Amino acid sequence: MTTGTPATTGTPAATGTPATTGTSATTGDLPPSLVATLPGDWYVDPAVFALEQRLIFESMWFCVTRSADLPAPGSFRTAVVGRESVLIGRGRDGTVRAFFNVCRHRGARLCTEESGTVGRAFRCTYHAWTYDLDGRLIAAPNLTKMPDVDRIGYGLVRVHVREWLGYVWVCLADDPPPFEDDVLGEVVTRLGDARAIDRYGVADLELGRRIRYDVAANWKLIVENFMECYHCATIHPELVEVLPEFAAGYAAQYYVGHGAEFGERIEGFTVDGSPGLDRIPTLSPEQDRRYFAITVKPQVFVNLVPDHVILHRMFPLAPDRTIVECDWLYLPDVVASGRDLDRSVELFHRVNQQDFDACERCQPSMSSRVYARGGVLVPSEHHIGGFHDWVRAKLAGTGSPGAGSPGAGPQDAGSPDAGPQGAGVSRDTPGDG
Amino acid sequence: MIAACPLEALPPGASFRLDGENPIALFRTEDGQIFAIDDTCTHQDASLSDGWLDGCEVECPLHSSRFDLRTGEVDAPPAKRAVRTHRVVVDGGTVFVEPSGCDG
Repeated sequence: MTTGTPATTGTPAATGTPATTGTSATTGDLPPSLVATLPGDWYVDPAVFALEQRLIFESMWFCVTRSADLPAPGSFRTAVVGRESVLIGRGRDGTVRAFFNVCRHRGARLCTEESGTVGRAFRCTYHAWTYDLDGRLIAAPNLTKMPDVDRIGYGLVRVHVREWLGYVWVCLADDPPPFEDDVLGEVVTRLGDARAIDRYGVADLELGRRIRYDVAANWKLIVENFMECYHCATIHPELVEVLPEFAAGYAAQYYVGHGAEFGERIEGFTVDGSPGLDRIPTLSPEQDRRYFAITVKPQVFVNLVPDHVILHRMFPLAPDRTIVECDWLYLPDVVASGRDLDRSVELFHRVNQQDFDACERCQPSMSSRVYARGGVLVPSEHHIGGFHDWVRAKLAGTGSPGAGSPGAGPQDAGSPDAGPQGAGVSRDTPGDG
Repeated sequence: MIAACPLEALPPGASFRLDGENPIALFRTEDGQIFAIDDTCTHQDASLSDGWLDGCEVECPLHSSRFDLRTGEVDAPPAKRAVRTHRVVVDGGTVFVEPSGCDG
């Protein structure tokens, strides 16, 4: 990482990467079984991460919080989206709104807590500029002597909001991409039918458990891990017990609308295969006894099983640090009854720990000189190349070639399978979790 | 007496700011009573008519000082000094205010 411009696949880094014995293979030498990953510095270079913040996290729809995390007017939560802090709050009319968490006066961060409740307004603790829950500037010292200060013009800057699956999604772009394409489109890609997820009634489920993981790994390692099951038989013994087909390494991801089937003697999606909780009654017979997974790029994983839904939200904070919030959602009666969820939660909690441990094991090596050109994908992982194409295309969309623009060479932007959306989306295939 | 505003400009729960050298805030409580007090908080220059009406009290939008609309007394800090109250008369659909003297 001496140039700040990571080499793209097939373009060996020009400097600083001496070809020592044992690392002389270039991506051009790969046998057909293997496909190159992204170069190592794409996972550690602050310049790459800065581009991802701007061109991915701040440009796409980003799932920040559960709508029910904002139970009443004045409830708020803050979240890191790209380089920005976003303030999400529920107004007096019950509507969820989101704003840049920046006081319009001198830029102080308005809400410093991660979540909380305000009575009537967001008040800056610096000079007391005060905004109502709609973001309008309602008061400030001496404001009446400044009648030319427009209270909407100097109100909080709004962020686009959508609610789906009972979650609040925000988009920091001035002109957000169509939610139907970018978010709902991922469901169609994976399940073959947008209505398939409707049968889970995710928005009507209740939070049974939430676990937050602070992962010392680049967000892309976590996505890549979720997309493949080559590792399943090695690191996920409990999961493979429940979903035996995962042992083959080829999981559901090669098919549209295919869910991994429970093993014969498995009674439920639990850590020991014991019965789970109440089955979601609106599922189709084809959805019973199966596990489906969807990756909603860039930061959401949805896992669907007959009695619950597991939803991961990633918050990339640094090239080597990602917060993952994972929610286990059940039928309201199940949660209200206080029934024991431990064996149900434990299965995917272990999967999460096993996965994140693996990602953390990879992260330090991303800056190793032997990984400068990246690693390789075996056939059951080749579809991850679609994710890499997608990342490349997103970062190439800068329109500003030059410094710090990884993979922005014309060969990438013009590559036939690196279309801005198409190839990456269609080939993105979540796997085991 | 100063004609402040038409009565319909002051529905229950609303406020009206009467500009001037010493601005006056008018409030109509939810039960229909109308009160007038100094608009400027005695703690820092903030407009109480931008504040929140809660029964017969108004909360300053800046630092949450609370003033009793009937007496002008401070019910919650950080303000320490009372605001002045002013007499209100409603006549012919118009709200009139009689500003108190300088000594309150």
